[in-house]
Amino acid sequence: MISPVFAVGELDGLFRWLNELLVSIGLPQPWQDVIMYAALSATVFGLLALIALFLVWWERKIAAHIQQRFGPMRVGWHGWYQTVMDALKLLQKEDIRVATRDKVVFFWAPVICFVAAFSAYVCMPFGRGLIVADLNIGILYIMAVTTFTVISLLMAGWGSNNKYALLGGMRSAAQVISYEVPMVVSLLAVILYVGSLSMVDIVESQSGWFNWFIFRVPFGPIAFVTYTVAAIAEANRTPFDIPEAEQELVAGYNVEYSGMKFAMFFLAEFINMFTVSAIAATVFLGGWNGPWLPSWVWFMGKTLSMVFLLMLVRWTYPRLRVDQLMEFAWKFLVPVTFANLILAGILKYLGYWE
Amino acid sequence: MAELRTEEFLVNMGPHHPSTHGVCRLILTMDGEKVVAIEPVIGYLHRAIEKICENRTYPQCTPLMDRFEYVTAMATEHVYALAVEKLAGLEVPERAEYLRVIMVELNRIASHLIFWGVTAMDVGAYTPFLYGLREREDIMDLFEITCGQRLTYNYIRIGGVSKDIPPEFVPKCREFVKMMWSKFSDYEGLLNGNPIFLGRMKDIGVLTPEAAIAYGASGPVLRASGVKYDVRRNDPYSVYDKFDFEIPTQPNGDCYDRFIQRLDEMKESLKIIEQALDNLPEGDIKCKVKPKLKPPEGEVYSRIESARGEMGVYIRSDGTTKPMRVKLRGSSYNHLMLVPEISTDVLIADVVAIFATLDIIMPEVDR
Amino acid sequence: MTRDELKEHILKKYDGLLTPLETGVFDLMCEVKPANLTKVARMLYDDEQLKFDFLNNIAGVDTGEQFEVVYSLSSISNNLRLDFKLVLSYDQAVIDSVKDIWTAADWHEREIWELYGIDINNHDNLKRFLLPDDWDQGYPMRKDWDAPDFVRMPEL
Repeated sequence: MISPVFAVGELDGLFRWLNELLVSIGLPQPWQDVIMYAALSATVFGLLALIALFLVWWERKIAAHIQQRFGPMRVGWHGWYQTVMDALKLLQKEDIRVATRDKVVFFWAPVICFVAAFSAYVCMPFGRGLIVADLNIGILYIMAVTTFTVISLLMAGWGSNNKYALLGGMRSAAQVISYEVPMVVSLLAVILYVGSLSMVDIVESQSGWFNWFIFRVPFGPIAFVTYTVAAIAEANRTPFDIPEAEQELVAGYNVEYSGMKFAMFFLAEFINMFTVSAIAATVFLGGWNGPWLPSWVWFMGKTLSMVFLLMLVRWTYPRLRVDQLMEFAWKFLVPVTFANLILAGILKYLGYWE
Repeated sequence: MAELRTEEFLVNMGPHHPSTHGVCRLILTMDGEKVVAIEPVIGYLHRAIEKICENRTYPQCTPLMDRFEYVTAMATEHVYALAVEKLAGLEVPERAEYLRVIMVELNRIASHLIFWGVTAMDVGAYTPFLYGLREREDIMDLFEITCGQRLTYNYIRIGGVSKDIPPEFVPKCREFVKMMWSKFSDYEGLLNGNPIFLGRMKDIGVLTPEAAIAYGASGPVLRASGVKYDVRRNDPYSVYDKFDFEIPTQPNGDCYDRFIQRLDEMKESLKIIEQALDNLPEGDIKCKVKPKLKPPEGEVYSRIESARGEMGVYIRSDGTTKPMRVKLRGSSYNHLMLVPEISTDVLIADVVAIFATLDIIMPEVDR
Repeated sequence: MTRDELKEHILKKYDGLLTPLETGVFDLMCEVKPANLTKVARMLYDDEQLKFDFLNNIAGVDTGEQFEVVYSLSSISNNLRLDFKLVLSYDQAVIDSVKDIWTAADWHEREIWELYGIDINNHDNLKRFLLPDDWDQGYPMRKDWDAPDFVRMPEL
């Protein structure tokens, strides 16, 4: 069993206090672990729920200001708790279930989507020492569980028994699987350099001035760009949002979902966006590394900058067509990322940027 | 193991679908993402305007014309007024004709702005829509200070216009024209050269000039296919023969050309508005029309160039106060016929782009 | 070609096929016998001096005594306008389709078939489209048809 990291850090004092409390009242060791993990999971879950709500509001404000509007203004200062109210509204809504649905698949799709989106955060380093579990296969684990999303989208498309939803589900399966390849291969270039799959090792190898992988010319910036493009596709966002292309498929895979089930898809989408941005921040932008400020501020700042970039792209560009999307993935991104991987290997062999 | 096979399936696009611009239903036969056949089904917005007109007096029909095609309501009023004036032999004062031209051209720009935004939105770019509506808002304000309405104006009446423009109209309109000229660099810079946009629009839904003429396509769609034909120039009505403007055409007739064509036409409309404002004569704004207007027996087919193409109205008079027959001809009716013709070997996303660039407005089809 | 020249040309070349009428207020209005429709349409389309290649509109009319079908044509290359009409009695309301000559006639003829009950020969696409699919209340654009809750407006 992997024990939580309680060594250093700014925010883990609370957990240390909890651990000491559990030891002092004399609980047996397995129970201590269970309670500790439960507390950690609850913290991460709560934090992510807040982040998702914040991102929804933020996206609406950014979209509005790009479009010369104000966006939500009525609920609180500049509508800051608009999304909380929206979530409450969605909770109260009737859960409409199509009569011809596939009952099991329809029910489990949003659950799997939600769980897959959240489980990536098991080994996400929010700051120095702020990690639930530093798995030695960290980044591989994140890539693996986030791919579960595609299964849930396919399930939603199939279970709804609706042709738009089915088309959306099929599109998302094709898209996510295609873009998974360039995404992982561009990360591989970095992993090859670090020599470890652990997220903490990746971050620590980037400490120091201009040691972030985005500054390690030439393979670093190339990997960053290809990763970002693939990540936008992975998060199903414009210009790669064909699974839910509003003008073609109405809402794609979630067209038959309402109420809280829809909200689960919706929030999972924003969590996914945060996940890909957090990976970019960790792998390419040095993670928590940075002078003066606390480590978690650096991490959040870098991640939110990535999120901002993704939002700008979304509200600026038109959408690709499904065949153009596939061509772009297989004929451009995959060759470029593989060439970049080979380049990184050669550079490492020659001893650059060690 | 059973032999693997694929099956075609039907998708009902509409009547309630975000990109059918109203309530059109397209029955798509699909083979995966590929569209094999399209059948448009219309009639969801059928309000029987033609039948209702037969039970109204001539002046009472004008408000119905607003509802015929509400995106360019000024043009529909204009064509109806022209037809009745031809029937009844009315002489319209020149000032009224100039005011009509200004209003119709402003309305054309408003319609093209909506087209610009909606087309961008239909290929996935959400932001231009709001930019388009921002400038349209100024046009709506101009209409509001003139006739109090923003969508269904009831401004162009038989024999003239309902009210003279207020004194602040001309300076405001000049200000708008000046502002509008400066916005084209924004419009052209936002999408025209974008590789994603080009990929979605170039060589999609190519309409040959022969097919365009055979199907009765008109207006920007016809001109984007390279046919230089504009009712304003070829069959001048109102005072259009007094203005100096170009008729832009495009070479290829694909979705991109139809998109560019409308941007070009907005510039020509601005030129017409500038000239009309410069030469706006003083005088009456309407001629004397009896409330019980009884045009002599006869029939007329009158046509104008609306924002979407040739808009026509056929009126048959039997000498009473009510028309015997009013037949409205909307260009979208013919353009919707084109959708199955030019959507060969396309994906579902292209159907959306084709539908958007033909600029089909459903009230004009269903009447 | 002005309106008078067009009239002269038609009187000379289409004698007996197209008869100019006085009712056309603006553009030239002619009458065609229903039996000659496709022949006249083909001639107008092929005539090098006219070349009416653009069908603007087809309007069905119920005058209370007979049906009329009005065709409005333009020539894009020669910049001309011409209207002609067919007069049909109620019991012989059938016309030939001109879809082969002007494809645009497709839906216009379908609409006349649907709303007036005028039969169209050689038209392969006669399906309901403006009215509901299960419509069984007759032909709404005919003069003797009123909606069940219809109140005629009093004469002024």
